[in-house]
Amino acid sequence: MLIVGEMKLADVIHHDYNLVPVINRFDISLGFGDGTIKEICEERNVNIEFFLSILNTFHDVQYFPKDYLKSFPVSLIINYLRKAHSYYSDEKIPEIKLLISKLIRLSGKKNKTLNLISNFFNDYCKEFATHLMREETVVYPYILSLEKALAEKNENGIVDTELMKYSITTYEADHEDVEEKLFDMKSLIIKYLPLESSDNLMFEEISYSLLRELFVLEKELNEHSRIEDLILVPKVEGMEKHYKSDR
Amino acid sequence: MGALMNIILVENNFLLRSGIEGLIIELPGLLLKEVFDGKEKNLCRKLINKKPDVIIINPNALGDNFISIISKLQEEAGIILIGLLGNDCPENISSRFKNHLPLEGNKHLLLEKLRDACGKDAVYPTNKKTQAGSRLLSVREIDILREVVKGLTNQEIADKLFLSIHTVMTHRKNISKKLSIKTVSGLMVYALMNNIVDINEMG
Ligand SMILES: [Fe+2]
Ligand SMILES: [Fe+2]
Repeated sequence: MLIVGEMKLADVIHHDYNLVPVINRFDISLGFGDGTIKEICEERNVNIEFFLSILNTFHDVQYFPKDYLKSFPVSLIINYLRKAHSYYSDEKIPEIKLLISKLIRLSGKKNKTLNLISNFFNDYCKEFATHLMREETVVYPYILSLEKALAEKNENGIVDTELMKYSITTYEADHEDVEEKLFDMKSLIIKYLPLESSDNLMFEEISYSLLRELFVLEKELNEHSRIEDLILVPKVEGMEKHYKSDR
Repeated sequence: MGALMNIILVENNFLLRSGIEGLIIELPGLLLKEVFDGKEKNLCRKLINKKPDVIIINPNALGDNFISIISKLQEEAGIILIGLLGNDCPENISSRFKNHLPLEGNKHLLLEKLRDACGKDAVYPTNKKTQAGSRLLSVREIDILREVVKGLTNQEIADKLFLSIHTVMTHRKNISKKLSIKTVSGLMVYALMNNIVDINEMG
């Protein structure tokens, strides 16, 4: 289903509740009322083109947001991506860590597999943090300065040669897959996590929650990378072309 | 193999995309992982990074890049390439594919071709013997796993165990498939868990 502005946001959420954290990133929370997407966006000053392309990218893997590419400022995308980052690192990851530590408490440290999985996840978190850090401290600032510089060039022809040294292709070329290890962690839990604990019923319950969280995070990260690769990168490539042309 | 086969489709025509998707859904054990339209930058690297078991390609979607991309994909061990080819497809293109789906084929034929191309193992085996065997790593695979988690490269493993690099890559693919674990650190957990290596051996 293609999501369009005339639809009621509530109907869309009924259709795909995975979009709740996504609308949250636009400061829209549950209890948003009866409005259509268009009305809600106008009310809250949300760029509707951008909102729709994000919703559709999340909702449908087959969706290619090309038509919308030119219509919104790149700072909007970055703002959105930053919010998503803090959602992952401040909410999702701690939630998963909490569940793992609950499992460890129940199994009294004797569950070797669980300890290995826990270490595996801790290592993953470090890598993940590095990935986000690179984007936030190198890639995004570069893009924002490019946006500013582009405006300046258009206004008075000034070109910043420093900016020419970096290119988004570097980022695109080694933008690594952050979901792969989550997949492995799911496999390890599904296939090999033994039931060794003081309260097996509770242990099963919590392993299920843990698994569910991993599925959700994996899906989220998948869509997140798609936004970076399919919306952000082509957009910045366009800007670079523009900036480097006839200087 | 008793594991899911991940498929990537490279096709820019929407109707064909949906049609292929419909075929894949009908065959148990096959999973459409991702669709590319063929115009993506660095497509070849992206395809390989996704570690698919099967890539279905419409040569038209790749345009002039077809030959260079297909040649690189042919070098990858363990990826089954399937062409989506019409009757009028020139010989120099069709000869690049061992397997193909004929655009003019009816549904029955297409399903059969797809199943054959993915290998009989792709569709869930009913034979109990293959199923039990496919769960366990072979002695050879355990040897290779041990070296992988110690951090050796494919070339180093090949040298050490007197195998070709191609064989090592095929084994690695099979290991990942059997265990559904793709990353080296995931394999490491598995190896430690099953005492295939012990923690002191790790670098
Ligand atoms: Fe990101
Ligand atoms: Fe990223």
